[in-house]
Amino acid sequence: MSAVLAILWKDLVSEWRSRDRIVAMLLFSLLVVVVFHFALPVRPGGGPPEGLPGLLWVAYVFAAILGLNRAFAVELENEALSGLALVPCDRGFVFLGKATASFLLILLAQLATALAFALAFDAPLGRVAGPLAGIAALGAAGLASVGTLFAAIAVRTRYREVMLPLLLLPLLVPLLLGAVRATAELLASGRVPSDAIQLLLVTDAVFLIVSFVGFEYVLDE
Amino acid sequence: MSPDPIERAAARVSRPLGACLLALLVVFAFLVVQAPEDRSQGVIQKIFYVHVPTVLGAYLGFFVTALAGALYLWRDEERWDRLAASAAEVGVVFCTLVLLVGPIWAKGTWGRWWTWDLRLTLTLLLWFVYVAYLLLRSFTEGGPRTARFASVYGMAGLVVIPLNYFALELAGGRSMHPENLEGGSFGEGMGLPFAVGMLVALVAFAWLLALRVRIAGLRARVEEGELLAGETAAPARGGAGS
Repeated sequence: MSAVLAILWKDLVSEWRSRDRIVAMLLFSLLVVVVFHFALPVRPGGGPPEGLPGLLWVAYVFAAILGLNRAFAVELENEALSGLALVPCDRGFVFLGKATASFLLILLAQLATALAFALAFDAPLGRVAGPLAGIAALGAAGLASVGTLFAAIAVRTRYREVMLPLLLLPLLVPLLLGAVRATAELLASGRVPSDAIQLLLVTDAVFLIVSFVGFEYVLDE
Repeated sequence: MSPDPIERAAARVSRPLGACLLALLVVFAFLVVQAPEDRSQGVIQKIFYVHVPTVLGAYLGFFVTALAGALYLWRDEERWDRLAASAAEVGVVFCTLVLLVGPIWAKGTWGRWWTWDLRLTLTLLLWFVYVAYLLLRSFTEGGPRTARFASVYGMAGLVVIPLNYFALELAGGRSMHPENLEGGSFGEGMGLPFAVGMLVALVAFAWLLALRVRIAGLRARVEEGELLAGETAAPARGGAGS
């Protein structure tokens, strides 16, 4: 447990000192909003565009991938990755530390993206802020867990920035489907659909277990 | 390093399997021609005898990939990784065939090449996962690191299949694709060609896998510089083309 906290603390402190991951993610989120604004047809009556939940989650996922890519790229400096592999405890706890740090960063990026969406698209996100935050957090947990596992893999490959989305996106479908469905239902009726939440919970649990166990094999001595 | 048991077995069975496949293909072609034409779909329905058995090959490939990956992580023996890589390649070949043959049938009967139906989407996602698996292998520098990464990814890919199934069903599996075969949808005279088709797919899968495993083994030994020039290199070259 102390290893988890130590790694989490290390990641957060180094992020606080450089702020490069979070700045990149936030700027990217804002850019996505601008791109969506120009890409979507003009709505004469104003109001949020159709398929807003899907757009929101596309922005979340790509911002998360941006941050996750950097999560292990920074460890390449000074062979810090080998140091992580030598932490005298189960590597699953190293994973938990790294994943929790990414989870918090993704949450922050989600908050900023949601704010930008609410302002730019006149989206009524404020009314359902509480439940929406819950859904976002469930999505972020799944993203951070498999994302951390595959980022640790991708960082050791050629074209690592390209490899992470290629590995990650095909496996994210259940997560995205559940999250988009829950968000859409929430925005439409104000209720949170239990089937989508169940799907998110099961997916998160499976992703967490797979990543916790799999992480043992992705770090080199 | 001498050939490991898997490679030896593959070398022994590949030729008989090839002969068996050739003979079965002749029988299969005859049976499909003889099979009755579907009353509503006409002759295009016969694509069914190819389409469904190919799915078997795809799933077999991905199952073997995950299983061999697990065995590699457990036993730390390279031969399991070679089996996993071979099965993934063969599985992708079959899965690609499914995704090519299916739309031809769909265009003929549904009037469009593709719908985002549960089974179609599931197969497409599976294809993406295992193409990513092969990319991961070729983008990593090789050796135990590639093997470990690929094993983890291959197993994660298999684990996600039921989740995807559940998710897509939740999304409203607007299904044009026919349900399972248990519904007794077989007309008279369709059972035998279908059964032989499944057998052909099974033998073709085993044959390709055996060839591929053999190539992987030979390649590993060439890389270790232990294979003398000329020794059993010819069959490997023949197999690489198929």
